[in-house]
Parts: sequence; structure tokens; C-alpha cells
Amino acid sequence: MQASRARLFKEYKEVQREKTADPDIQLACDDSNIFKWTALIKGPSETPYEGGVFQLAFAVPEQYPLQPPQVRFLTKIFHPNVHFKTGEICLDILKNAWSPAWTLQSVCRAIIALMAHPEPDSPLNCDSGNLLRSGDIRGFQSMAKMYTRLAAMPKKG
Amino acid sequence: MVSNSITTASMSSGPNARDLGKKKRANRSAKLKQCKLDARREQWLSQGTAKNKGCKEEQNDGVQSRKGVNSSLKNLETSSRGEEMEGSMLIHQYSDLDSPANSPTSVTSSVLGGSTDSGTNFTGTSSGSSRSSSSSSGGYCSGNITEDEEGGEEGGGDDGCLDDWEAVADALVAENKNPCSESSPECESVAELVSSREANDGVGLGGVDLKSECPKMVLRGACGNSQAWRPDDAFRPRSLPNLSKQQSLPNPDRHYSGGAGGVTWGCNKVVSMPTSCPICYEDLDFTDSSFLPCLCGFRLCLFCHKRILEEDGRCPGCRKPYETDTVEAETSVHGGSLTFRLARSCSMIARS
Repeated sequence: MQASRARLFKEYKEVQREKTADPDIQLACDDSNIFKWTALIKGPSETPYEGGVFQLAFAVPEQYPLQPPQVRFLTKIFHPNVHFKTGEICLDILKNAWSPAWTLQSVCRAIIALMAHPEPDSPLNCDSGNLLRSGDIRGFQSMAKMYTRLAAMPKKG
Repeated sequence: MVSNSITTASMSSGPNARDLGKKKRANRSAKLKQCKLDARREQWLSQGTAKNKGCKEEQNDGVQSRKGVNSSLKNLETSSRGEEMEGSMLIHQYSDLDSPANSPTSVTSSVLGGSTDSGTNFTGTSSGSSRSSSSSSGGYCSGNITEDEEGGEEGGGDDGCLDDWEAVADALVAENKNPCSESSPECESVAELVSSREANDGVGLGGVDLKSECPKMVLRGACGNSQAWRPDDAFRPRSLPNLSKQQSLPNPDRHYSGGAGGVTWGCNKVVSMPTSCPICYEDLDFTDSSFLPCLCGFRLCLFCHKRILEEDGRCPGCRKPYETDTVEAETSVHGGSLTFRLARSCSMIARS
């Protein structure tokens, strides 16, 4: 569809223009396919994900922006709303609360916000959700921190 | 000039070639301009000789030595004078039809003229200057009077118009047999102001209007009007349409300050308004920017609105389903947030 392509081009230009606008997000488009994007986001500070860099994969549908992009974590992350194996994200704005006014950039921001504020009542990662729901904040944090260190941080020599 | 530059081009080495190319281009354009000016002057001369009698001839002779740069202005004035009422009426109509911005100027001039205490001034000046001002302002703003005149005016925006105008002013004073002896020196000073301003702006917008204003200022003692016009001149190049719209208000001095505030406020609003559709990132045209489909104030272009209606029918801003009769709600509830509409309604209120 032409509209989605045009819009993605505009978003691409916007991203190129404001590369330094948001230091926590690095959006990049696949060289050969404008419907495939990847993003690198930094784990928000004062969370167990701090210091980690997480990779996201965007699959933009033809009906974009009327339909939300499909986003998943390529980097392993221990988070109640992210499927541990597939990286699928349970986020309302990526499902029924999507609005065409959102952009890929703003989706990244929403995912960073989700990392800082997990929603244990609709878990995709049951272990993580159960830890939080049972009040074991410390257990959750240490698990999340461990996986961040394992998967989202550069290996130290 | 051209041959010079060519020889230097052949003499010069590589790095200078670009500059010379530029020079050449400049020369060519200058030549073209000169050609156009010559053609225009001839055309005007033939017109002028057909229409003008008496004192006009002297002016023409005087102007010829000035390389025809001022020819367009002259042309306007002479033609408007020569054609008497018909010409001016036509021009007025043109400006009325062309752009809403122009009509108020002509309206104001007539309104102001009508309210002047000394009617003779106005009739005297109006025969020449105010009429020419209306026509020339039409040329500047809408560019819908013939191309010749407009193009000529661009050329005439140079220093030449100062001298030309002085000559015209002198002629006017002579014609009017005005007792006011100091009018011409003051006019000159104003004209100098004008020329300097024109040099700054590059466009002679303020200049033309000031010229038309000058006799009025001088003859009326000029306090209220001149003060009201000065800030206006500073703003003029940027927001001419709005200002002239404000000038169409009945009593200019009172409404002017309020009008100016309104204008700046309106400008701010325009800046803050989205210029492109947040959905498809295409630029919003006038229809789109006056289209407010949802009470939440989220704007989008009509295409995206239609697509969303076909899809799930919810506003992207508030995720509430679009109402069917939003267009009525738009004008009544959110009229204040629509800048263009607001400006129009203001002027309409003022007129009624």
C-alpha cells in the first residue's frame, strides 16, 4: 500500500533528522525493506534493565499506520509482559489501544516505559509475573538484572 | 561587460571559472532585465502619449533620462489618472476579487478619505496618489494586474522610484493648488524613509502605501494616522493580509491596537498549529487545517480521516469513536481554535 510506504519514508527522514533527539533510542530501517525496522533501546535507569541495550524488531503491516506494527524483543529480557522465548510484547498500544498518531519512535518510548513499569496482571512471562505478584520484588529484580547482564550487556573480556 | 567577462574568463585559471560563470549569468539576467524594461518603457510611452495631456508630458520627459526604471510606477499613475474613474474602478474591482487582503486597503483608503474633514484634500489627492496606490498595491499583493506592470514594479522597487515619486508629488501639489507649502519637503523626507525601507525589505510594500499615506498625513496634521501606521510598517512585509484586514475596521485608531494584538496572537496560533497531518505526514492544506473532526482537537487530513472511518472509526487523538455530525460541532465549539476562521469572523463582525 502506498500510504504506509509514504508514511514510513517520512518517519525514516524524521529519524535521520533527529538522530540525537532521544539518546535512548536508535531506530534503523532495513536496507532493503522499509517494512522491517530494528531498534536499540537502553534499559531505563533505576530498573534492573539499567545498563543493558535491548534490540527490538519491528514488522510493519501494509495497513500501517491504521494497524499497529508488530514489535518483539530480539534480546532476551526477563519482564512480565515480554514472552521469554519469542520476545513478544504485551502492550495495549500494540494491540487494541493503537492509534495511527503513534510512530515507531513513540512505540519505542512506550516500550521503555513498559520496562520501567511492568504490568504483572497480564503476564506473558509467568515466572516474572508471579514473582512480582507475590511481592518478591527483590527476587524479580535479581532475575531481571541477571538476564540483563547475560543478554543485554557487552561481554567483558 | 559581457565581452570583458569572457576575456577574463579565457585568461583566468580553473578556480575562478565558477565566479565568472556567475558573473556571466548575472550579466545575462541584467541584459534580459534591461530588454524587458526597454520594452515596457516603450509600451508605456505609447500609452502615455495616447492618454496624457499637458503636464504629464513634462514628467515623461523627465523620467526618460532615468532609464525607465520608474516607468511602471509612472505607468500606473498615468494610466489611473488617464482613464479617470473607469480605470480606478476596474482596478478596485480587481483587487477586491483577487485577494481578500487587498480589498480592505482600498476600502480603508476610501473610508479614511470620506472621514477627512477637508474634503478637498482627499479629492485632490485621490485623483492621483490614492488611486495609484490602490492599483499598485494590487499589483504587489496579488500580482493579478497585467504582468507588465508587476514586473515593471519589481524593477521600479529600486532607488529610482524616489525621484519619480517626488516629481509626481510636486505635480500633485501644483494641481491641487494646495495652500500647504511644506507638504513637499515632508513628503520628500517620508519618501526617503520609504526608499530606505524598500532597500531593506527588498519589496516596496510599505513604500507604496506610505506614499499614498504621505499626503494624507501632511494635510491632516497627521498625528493619529501616522502613529497608527508606523508599527504597521514594521510588521507589513510579514503579515500584510491580516493587517489590512484589521484596517477594514470602521474606526481605525481604536481598533488598530486591538487589531495588532489580534494579529500577533493569530500568528502565534498559526505557528503552534500542526502544519502536516500527524498520520500521513502530508502537509495540511486550508481545508484540512480548518477541519476538526473530533472534540479532542486532534487534527488530521481528510484522506486519513476517511481511511480511519473505513477502518475502525476512532479518533487517533483520544481513541473515542468519531461522531457523525462533527462538522457542526467544529464551528460552534472549537471556533476559537481555528485561526483562519477566527480572523474571518472578526472581520465579518466588524463589517456588520
